[in-house]
Amino acid sequence: MSVVPMTDTAVEIEPPVSLWRDAWHRLRRNKLAVFGLAVVVILAFTAVFGPYLTPYDFLSQDLNSRNLAPSLSHLFGTDDLGRDVFSRVVYGTRTAFLVAIVVTFIAVVIGVTLGALAGFFGGWLDRIVMWLTDMTMSIPNLLLVVVINASLKSPITSWMESRYLATLNPLYRETIWVDFLLVFGSMALISWPPYARLVRAQVLSIRSRPYITAAQALGLTNRIILMRYVVPNALGPLIVAVSAGLGTAMVLESAFSFLGVGVNPPTPSWGNMISDGLRVWQHYPHLLAAPAAVLGLASVAFSFLGDGLNDALNPRGAK
Amino acid sequence: MMMANTIRPEPSTKTGERLLDVKGLTIEIETRNGPATIVDGIDLHVGKGETLGIVGESGCGKSLTMLSMMRLLPNKIRVTKGEANFAGRDLQTMSNSELRKVRGGDVGFIFQDPMTSLNPVMRIGQQLAEPLIYHRGMSKAQARKRAGELLRLVGIPGAEERLDAYPHELSGGMRQRVMIAIGLACNPQLLIADEPTTALDVTIQAQIVDLVKDLRDKLGMSVVWITHDLALIAGLVDRINVLYAGTVVEDAPVDALFANPSHPYTQGLLASIPKLSDERSIRLSSIGGTPPEPGRRPKGCPFAPRCPLVESICHDSVPSLEGLSQNGSHRVACFVAQRKLEAA
Ligand SMILES: Nc1ncnc2c1ncn2[C@@H]1O[C@H](COP(=O)(O)OP(=O)(O)O)[C@@H](O)[C@H]1O
Ligand code: SF4
Ligand SMILES: [Mg+2]
Repeated sequence: MSVVPMTDTAVEIEPPVSLWRDAWHRLRRNKLAVFGLAVVVILAFTAVFGPYLTPYDFLSQDLNSRNLAPSLSHLFGTDDLGRDVFSRVVYGTRTAFLVAIVVTFIAVVIGVTLGALAGFFGGWLDRIVMWLTDMTMSIPNLLLVVVINASLKSPITSWMESRYLATLNPLYRETIWVDFLLVFGSMALISWPPYARLVRAQVLSIRSRPYITAAQALGLTNRIILMRYVVPNALGPLIVAVSAGLGTAMVLESAFSFLGVGVNPPTPSWGNMISDGLRVWQHYPHLLAAPAAVLGLASVAFSFLGDGLNDALNPRGAK
Repeated sequence: MMMANTIRPEPSTKTGERLLDVKGLTIEIETRNGPATIVDGIDLHVGKGETLGIVGESGCGKSLTMLSMMRLLPNKIRVTKGEANFAGRDLQTMSNSELRKVRGGDVGFIFQDPMTSLNPVMRIGQQLAEPLIYHRGMSKAQARKRAGELLRLVGIPGAEERLDAYPHELSGGMRQRVMIAIGLACNPQLLIADEPTTALDVTIQAQIVDLVKDLRDKLGMSVVWITHDLALIAGLVDRINVLYAGTVVEDAPVDALFANPSHPYTQGLLASIPKLSDERSIRLSSIGGTPPEPGRRPKGCPFAPRCPLVESICHDSVPSLEGLSQNGSHRVACFVAQRKLEAA
């Protein structure tokens, strides 16, 4: 008698593919996700190399050619100081990525740590973390940021000025770092709660999945189960959230600039270009249109990419 | 590649050598209205080399009994009384590190749902290798080689190529075979299979039963097979325990149980098996109602609310499991069945 029955109704013989290669195949079939990915790659390239390739310096003013409409020599026209808008948008891409990456990184580190601890240990730790999360989310974002900036910015700046006058150390002259610090810090402070919630929910739901019980029934240690069973399964949704979060951070920076608490001129950011452009848009619409269009494109691209990754990274949705 | 005609040694039930011996295990769940009993002082035992079938409707506490023995209960459910001895040592009181050696090493588990019981983001070769590396101290290369052998053992075509597959790339039947291979990886002395075929279609169910039967005969292990389908396991098991509302209501060698089902619940279960000889007979559910919810257990015999033979004594006291046959191998927990015997 044949001990091992060799038949099974559904024997699909396909070459084994890795989860990531598989996800890549699925991502490539999703047109919106491919569009999002392409835009993100181009923008990232621009952020890194763009400033070296632009036709004009983003700071160089030409008072003879102010507020020019778009033309071949100035693709996006010039602004009220005669600066090339295209070059400024390109440099603004670097600012946007810098803000988005740093802010998202800080927010993810805080959110993942707090969320994982809360989900894994539960109890009072969970209650404290959830209370912090709810608190942070219940305060209106912009209010928090305005308060932080209004109360911290001028004291720090004037302290640095006085240090500069006292020591003449050029380190203290560059107040732009204060801008970045405050913008990054306050944005991260309002951006971490969604990551904490997501990771906590992920850990809670994964902890009760049958494959975790199965792993325990194999006698594996908690450490192995956490590292190889819980964490990798929580990763997909986190990657998705990070992708969408990068776009959100860029939009948030513009909102701050509009309120006068974003990255300050003369460093170009899409946000401060948009808020400058808004003042004169009836006369020089290109000053608003160019940065706004790029910001919109970036935000849409990140969200398409996030959605695409969501579908692609879920192997159970595989057909 | 496998032996065809092993003569299976006689299981040692009669010699009383018990590999697994559960005594008075009680499981409670934390509810809003306080703790409720799910499993009520259950007694179970499995001899060396014996195959025990556990039968009962879903919700009877079959899975929780098995999980509780290995201290794998979910939150809010816990063991409040009793012991579970494996090879003479109480699993309930041993240290966590000792228990981890038993889990997966001495006792293999096969779970009900092959779709959700494998880690979706880990290659099956690695999931097979994990216990081998952990319990048997194999190197990665050794474990991979053994993983390939195990997949071949459970009849997966192209076994070696399958090592690098992810669970979603396999069909349900193939995944269940992978789970069996994982359960068998460390040559356990006891294999616990919790409704391992429920999610599969009928022809594959029979294949899986045959597969476990052959592997058991070859490897000489004890098996606990949980099911709600008596007919499926008739040819596999040596002895059957019928479970109702967290207690064993009948314990009998498989032939005796089919020849002389004594508990009204067992009779109902048997009557609801469609007779292959009778084309018109469809699955008739001869027992109305459902098992009691946790926390709503009757005071007397747990089966009383659904029992066709119920008498007044049944509402007041709980029948204990008493021997029907001379050697005590057939036992039943029912006042009426016990009285019939005395009268005879
Ligand atoms: N995780 C859980 N949470 C709450 N109740 C549960 C849980 N698991 C099982 N139960 C309850 O315990 C009882 C026995 O469940 P189980 O052992 O899974 O039954 P079986 O395996 O016989 O179908 C059922 O009434 C079920 O409702
Ligand atoms: S003890 Fe009474 S209620 Fe329980 S099964 Fe027997 S006859 Fe039915
Ligand atoms: Mg069950």
